[in-house]
Amino acid sequence: MGINIGGLLKTEKITFNDLKDRVIAIDAYNVIHQFLAIIRQRDGTPLKDSEGRITSHISGLLHRTGNMIETRIRPIYIFDGKPHNLKNRTLQIRKERKIKAEKEWKDAIRKGDMEKAKSKAQQTSRITDEIANQSKELLNLLGIPFVQAPSEGEAQASYMVKKGDAYAVGSQDFDCLLIGSPILIRNLTSSNRRKLPGKKAYMKVNPELIRLDINLKQLGISHKQLVDMAILIGTDFNPGVKGLGPKKSLDLIKKVGNIENAIATIGGENAPTFEEIKEIRKIFHNPDVTKDYSLKWIKPDKDKVIEILCEEYNFTKSRIEPILEKFEKIENMMKQKTLF
Amino acid sequence: MFKAKVKSEVLKGIIDVTSPLVNEVKLNINSKGISLRAVDPAHVAMIDLNINNKAFEEYKADDIELGIDMDKLSGIMRLSTAGDVISLDYDETANRLIVTIGNLVRKMSLIDTAGMPDPKMPNLNLPAKAIIKASEINRGVKASEAVSDHLAIKVNKDNFELFAEGDTDTVNLKLPKDLLVELKSDNNYKSLFSIDYFSNMIKPVKGEDNVTIHLGNDNPIKLEFDIADKKGHVKYLLAPRIESE
Repeated sequence: MGINIGGLLKTEKITFNDLKDRVIAIDAYNVIHQFLAIIRQRDGTPLKDSEGRITSHISGLLHRTGNMIETRIRPIYIFDGKPHNLKNRTLQIRKERKIKAEKEWKDAIRKGDMEKAKSKAQQTSRITDEIANQSKELLNLLGIPFVQAPSEGEAQASYMVKKGDAYAVGSQDFDCLLIGSPILIRNLTSSNRRKLPGKKAYMKVNPELIRLDINLKQLGISHKQLVDMAILIGTDFNPGVKGLGPKKSLDLIKKVGNIENAIATIGGENAPTFEEIKEIRKIFHNPDVTKDYSLKWIKPDKDKVIEILCEEYNFTKSRIEPILEKFEKIENMMKQKTLF
Repeated sequence: MFKAKVKSEVLKGIIDVTSPLVNEVKLNINSKGISLRAVDPAHVAMIDLNINNKAFEEYKADDIELGIDMDKLSGIMRLSTAGDVISLDYDETANRLIVTIGNLVRKMSLIDTAGMPDPKMPNLNLPAKAIIKASEINRGVKASEAVSDHLAIKVNKDNFELFAEGDTDTVNLKLPKDLLVELKSDNNYKSLFSIDYFSNMIKPVKGEDNVTIHLGNDNPIKLEFDIADKKGHVKYLLAPRIESE
């Protein structure tokens, strides 16, 4: 998902603590997707309540957000709105991939290959409206603000960082850099380890910070050229020119200046038309965003959270109470102002 | 180029005022001296430090920026004792600072300054000013630490006051004008601050030295004092806490 330019970028290792008192605009679909993929049983079945409803996202949001609040990080979650028409192709591919993975998951279970089952199951996660709504309801009760983006969540989050309302975008995708967010933070977790996909091994992960200006300087291109380069490689809105990876695209853009010249030079299968280039550029340079949001963290409705989590989703009270205690810190956290 | 000799106490003084707030700093060095300005990771406090070249025993420098890991430098300083004269020499090719203490040579790698910000000093409206002996405030801060995590600083035309209130206990330090070096205030001003931060900023000031305080209403506080035998000057800014609703 998103543009694959990670290998070219300079990242700074940071700790959770470095983000103390900062507002982080988190791409909600991105993080919920992670929870749905990772929080699963051994055979790949997600966490479920007694009625068979998935609860992986509830558990993930509660723990992850609790850890942030405990460190005095101020998260604001940004939910995707209506996708751009040009994304339909990507969405269709994802859908087909999920249907295929679902079949392979069931096959693997039948054959008793649990490792394969889990890895295939992870690829089937889908954020339904129900899951999105449950997530919003939970955030509301926890006192954590969220924003409903008119279109792409990454674009809304980037807008808020550019405006100075948030310090960074929290996402695993790099797309926010294309939209112009000055800072991206990846691996926004304090747990410090992540299971390697498809393997039994764990690797240590640190939050990492990626600055747009430093990277543009290092790559030797302008922001406009970064977007052109991304369109060459392929984005959620176009398949990318065949045979052009990140490295080649960068060299090409540096040599000829922009994507129009690049395509004129090499031709290339799957190359977008100039009309399409114009449209995709607009998605990154001038995205649809809303100014209507509030940055307020309030005291959680602890009793209501316990009621919903325990009675509706079958969570154990004694296990969620210590997490909810972390949220009690919100009040205190909001009292410390920052210099800018 | 940067080549200097400095008394161990002076260098320790610089570390003492800087390291409670930031781990990595960018030193801006020129022929007149050294300056740094940094904000803590939470953006709650700022330090602005200027050291005149006269604070050094010997000093020679062109315009350069050095990225220093304060933990590392402070570790090195533990190898010195008071009265030592320490040589600092910038090795440009290896981007290292060569620190010589007597016969001990410690080459310290420097941090890339490219990603380090240059924070701007915010414009603040701080109408009240008080100059107080550091030992007086220190006593109040120490007492407050035992009862709460925040304290209030109040200034009116007659008094400077420090007040902390916990769940059960309170602390009040009231200093009338005649016990202060200076007091200028046309009105009542009050702001709240985190004791953690405030105490980190007051601790490095020697007891007999003066601290200048600039205060407004629910605004940051500015603390100023001299270090390095008055050849260095520190300005701290600390963002306020807001009162509970």
